[in-house]
Amino acid sequence: MLITRCEKRESEHISPSIHHSQLTIHKQTPAQTNFQTMTKRIFIDKLSSRWMVLCLSVFLLLPLAIGLGLVLKSSDLWRTHAIGSLIFSKDWSPSESQFGFWPFILSSLWVTVVGLVISMPLCLLSAIFLTQFAPNWMLRFMRPVIDILAGIPSVVYGVWGVLVIVPLVADIIAPMFHSESLGYSILAGALVLSVMSIPYILNMILEVFRQVPIELGEASLSLGATKWETIKHVFLRKGATGIISAYGLGFSKALGETIAVMMVIGNVVQVPTSVFDAGYPLPALVANNYGEMMSIPSYDSALMFGSLLLFLIIITINVIFRYIIYKSEAI
Amino acid sequence: MKTNKIFLAISTLILLASCGRSGDTSSSKETNQKQVSISFSGAFALYPLAQKWAEAYNKTHPEVRFDIQAGGAGKGLTDALSGAVDVGMFSRAITDAEKSKGTWYIALCKDAVIPTINPANPYINTIRERGITKDQFKAIFVDQSVKRWEDLLSIKGGQGAKIDVFTRSDASGAADSWASFFGKKQENLKGLGMNGDPGVSDAVKRDKNSIGYNNTLFLFDIRTGKQIPGIEAVPIDVNGNGKIDEDEKSYADLNTFLKAVNDGKYPSPPARDLYFITKGKPAKKEVLDFFNWVLTDGQQLVQSAGYVPLPQDAINEQLNKLK
Repeated sequence: MLITRCEKRESEHISPSIHHSQLTIHKQTPAQTNFQTMTKRIFIDKLSSRWMVLCLSVFLLLPLAIGLGLVLKSSDLWRTHAIGSLIFSKDWSPSESQFGFWPFILSSLWVTVVGLVISMPLCLLSAIFLTQFAPNWMLRFMRPVIDILAGIPSVVYGVWGVLVIVPLVADIIAPMFHSESLGYSILAGALVLSVMSIPYILNMILEVFRQVPIELGEASLSLGATKWETIKHVFLRKGATGIISAYGLGFSKALGETIAVMMVIGNVVQVPTSVFDAGYPLPALVANNYGEMMSIPSYDSALMFGSLLLFLIIITINVIFRYIIYKSEAI
Repeated sequence: MKTNKIFLAISTLILLASCGRSGDTSSSKETNQKQVSISFSGAFALYPLAQKWAEAYNKTHPEVRFDIQAGGAGKGLTDALSGAVDVGMFSRAITDAEKSKGTWYIALCKDAVIPTINPANPYINTIRERGITKDQFKAIFVDQSVKRWEDLLSIKGGQGAKIDVFTRSDASGAADSWASFFGKKQENLKGLGMNGDPGVSDAVKRDKNSIGYNNTLFLFDIRTGKQIPGIEAVPIDVNGNGKIDEDEKSYADLNTFLKAVNDGKYPSPPARDLYFITKGKPAKKEVLDFFNWVLTDGQQLVQSAGYVPLPQDAINEQLNKLK
C-alpha cells in the first residue's frame, strides 16, 4: 500500500502542461517520499508518547507540589514551636500561642477507624451476596443505587446525620450502653462516614469479584467444596489484594471527609475517651477556623500545619496499605 | 454519520451564541451603564440587613449587583483581606492585630447577642423570674463549674437536668461578642460547637436542657416582632439582685428590646456595633457611594429591619472617614 501511495505522489508531481525541463526539478524519487512520510509518522509517534509522559509527570508532581506548598506555608509555626509539642501536646489555645494537635489527630483516627469497622464487614458481605447468591437483576439494580449514594452531596449527608443519626445516638444507642450522650459524638460521625464510604468500597469489591475467573469457582465446586468454602478459599483468597486496596481507599476517603462529619461530631477540643464523646477531626478544624486565620497571629500557619498533618497521615496510611497488599500478594 | 456531524455543529453554534448573549445583558438600551457587582461575605448578624439594603439601593441604582453570603464574621474578614470579596460583614470589635493587616471599616448600626434556652426547660419559670447573672453565665460557658440546672438555680432535689451548652464552631462575631461579656474570647467558650447561627438555634430548639446564644434576628421574628416559638431569651440579671426588675424585662418584643439596647439597659457587650470592612479604603467608587447611602438614606431602614441605629455624631464620624 505504501508503494502505491508513493506512485500516486509521483504522478501528482508530474503535470502534463509544465515544460519538460521543469519536470526534472519537481520529481522526487520514491525513496525520498518514503523518507518524508516515515519521519512524519515517527515524529507524531514520539510526540504522542512524550505528551502522555508529560501528563503523567503532572500527576506525579502534583502531590509533591501540594506537600511542598503546605510545608512552606506552615513554616512560621514549626520554626517557632517544637514539632514534638505541636503533635503530641493536648493544649489548644491559639490566642496564647498554644497549638497542640493531639486531640485533633486522635479524633480523626477514632472517627475513621470506627466508621471503617462499621462499613468493612457490611460492604464485604453485601458484595459476596450480590455476586454469588443474588439473582442477576439485583446486581444490575444495585448499580444505580450505589451511584446515587456516591453522588449525594456531603452536606445532605450532614443534614441527614443531624436529623436522624444524632437523635438515634442520643436516645437509643447511648442508653443501650449505659452511657449518656447528646448525640453529637464520634459514633454519630462514624455512622455518617460509614454510609458515605460504602459506595466506594462496595464498587471496588464488586469489581474485584468480577475479575476473579468463573472457572476457578467452578473448579472448586466440582471438587466437592460447598458454596461457602468456595467463596472463602477461592474468591476471597484471589480477591484479597483488591479488597484490601478497597479498604485503603475507603480509609482515605473517610479521613478527609469534612462537612458531613463537622455537622454531627460536636466540635469540642478534647481527647475522646469513648465513642459517645464529642470530637474535633483535623478537616473540621481547618474548615471551621478558616475565618479566624487573619485575626490571630500564626493561626494561618497553624491551620496549614493541620492540613500538612492530614496530608502526611494519608500518605502514611496509603503506604501501610500498600505494604499489606504487597505482603498478601506474596501469600 | 453526516447528520450526526451537522447536529453537533448546530448545537455547538447554539451554545456559543447563548454564551455571547448572557454576557451582553449589562449593556442597557439608552445609557452606557456598566453593571458593577459588589460582593459581601461575613457575619450572620448583618446578613438580613445587607439584603434589605441591597434591595432598597437597587431601586435607585439598578446597575449595581449585590452578591451577599453569610459564613461568620471571621470568614468575612479573611475574605475581605484576601481580596475574595469586596466588603466583609463584621459583628464584633476589630482587634489591633486585624487593624495592622490593613483593615478599613465603617460602623453601621448596633445589634445584640442574646443568650437562649428552650421554653420546655423544667425550670423555665424560675429562670424567667430570676434571670441569670454575668458570673453565672461565665460559670456555665467558660469554667463549666456549674453542670446542672438545679445547681445553677440552687434548687434542691429535681431530676438532675444537665446543662447542655451549645456554642459556635465557626469563626463567629456573635461568639466573640458573647465571650467578651465576661472578658473572654470565643475559644474559651466550652460546649458543643454548631455551625452557624441557625445551627445553634436548631440545637437549642431540639434539646430542652440546652443553653446557647444567638443574634437578635435569629431569635425574634422581624414580621411579628415576637420571639420565634421553640426558643426563648434568657433574661440577663444585670444588677445581680436575683430577680428580673422592670428595666431588665425587655424581651417581650423586638421594639422594646432594641430600645433597651439603645438606652444601654442591655449590656454592651454582648450588644455590639456592626461593621463593613474592606482592605484599605475602598478603591471602587460604587462601594464608596453605597457606603455613603448606607450612612444617610439607609439608616431609615435600620430600625424597621430590627437593628439599633447609631447616634448622629457617630454617623458623622463615619461619613468623615468616607471623604
